[in-house]
Amino acid sequence: MKTYRGFLLGVAAAGVCAAVGVAFAATQDRSSPQGDTWESIAKLPDWSGLWEPTFGQGRGDKPPMLTPAYEAKLKAYQAARKSGKIQDTPAANCVPPGLPGIMWQPYPIEFLFTPGKVTILVEAYSQWRQIFTDGRPLPKDPDPTFNGHSIGHWEGDTLVVDSVGFTTATPLGENYGIHHSNKMRIRERMRKTSDDKLEIETTVEDPVALQKPWTVKRVYGHHPSWTLDEYICEQNNRNYTTAKGKAGIDLNFKEAPK
Amino acid sequence: MMRKSTRGARSWAYAATVALVGCWGGNAMAHHSFSLFLMTTTKTITGRVVEFQWTNPHTWTWIDVKNKDGSVTRWGLEGMSPNFLERRGWTRDTLKPGDLVKVVINPLKSGKPGGEFVRATLSDGTVKVMFPHPVDAKP
Repeated sequence: MKTYRGFLLGVAAAGVCAAVGVAFAATQDRSSPQGDTWESIAKLPDWSGLWEPTFGQGRGDKPPMLTPAYEAKLKAYQAARKSGKIQDTPAANCVPPGLPGIMWQPYPIEFLFTPGKVTILVEAYSQWRQIFTDGRPLPKDPDPTFNGHSIGHWEGDTLVVDSVGFTTATPLGENYGIHHSNKMRIRERMRKTSDDKLEIETTVEDPVALQKPWTVKRVYGHHPSWTLDEYICEQNNRNYTTAKGKAGIDLNFKEAPK
Repeated sequence: MMRKSTRGARSWAYAATVALVGCWGGNAMAHHSFSLFLMTTTKTITGRVVEFQWTNPHTWTWIDVKNKDGSVTRWGLEGMSPNFLERRGWTRDTLKPGDLVKVVINPLKSGKPGGEFVRATLSDGTVKVMFPHPVDAKP
């Protein structure tokens, strides 16, 4: 009897595992080439060359629907900004914005495909992101970071990316003035819409800060002749923001190192 | 009549500038806000280049400007990054020490000798635009 019950428990456990497996497979359709080998990479769309957000986007974004607590934070921030009490963000001190803002900078990005991984080189702040496409799950208890931890898979010509594990030091959005919570999860759909345009649809989920997921689209222009430049923000940064948000600029002449 | 059309052009330019600065604030602003600058006002200064610093996050152009009383003020002009400029026809030698240049700037609100570099006219008459600015482009 005991053995039989053990057997049943075993079957039940196996069933749960199988169900989890099916659920995982259901969220990740891996029927198209996944770039897990060099042969498979050859079947992926050609995203070579540099891509830069086209000029003047952002104003048309639908604002996020914030929860009442975060709406109050935003209102207070906007009032402080209007009155001049707060003049700038920590970005003036060369602190990068983290995801998703890091993808919306006025500088190019580049995609590198290697087996099981897509790497995005981000010129702004000399950053990089790695997106594991080898079928691994998201980390369960990741260290919080600026750009998070990402997995992805290909659905035809679309790279579908899922990211978690963000530090709350970064803003919700770009230079938004309020921060996301540690529950933020970001889903991105990246695809080429023509030979010279790439589109990234970003959906930010944050059950603490947002009433519903916030989706933003950005179009990137193709610059096949460009190569990435170094961007060391600390090289000659004369702007600063105090902890309270007061901005300043250093006008003391000093020769640049040759 | 003349005055009216000038005013019309000015308000158009003002609106365009606000829109442009807005765009930069919304998308193209990588690093800092423009809260310290008078972004809808331009000022022209003429002087000799001390150093053109081809650095991130901004180029810095230092210019010695002779004042009416004969004294010299060193102006510090923040500009677009080398990454932005090298893709748009600039090099680290576009401005050289000793060059006499006329520069249109957005001055600092504080009145200190500094500003945002908009465009320069070099001694040979070449105009180099650093920061496309409607107030300046459509006078």
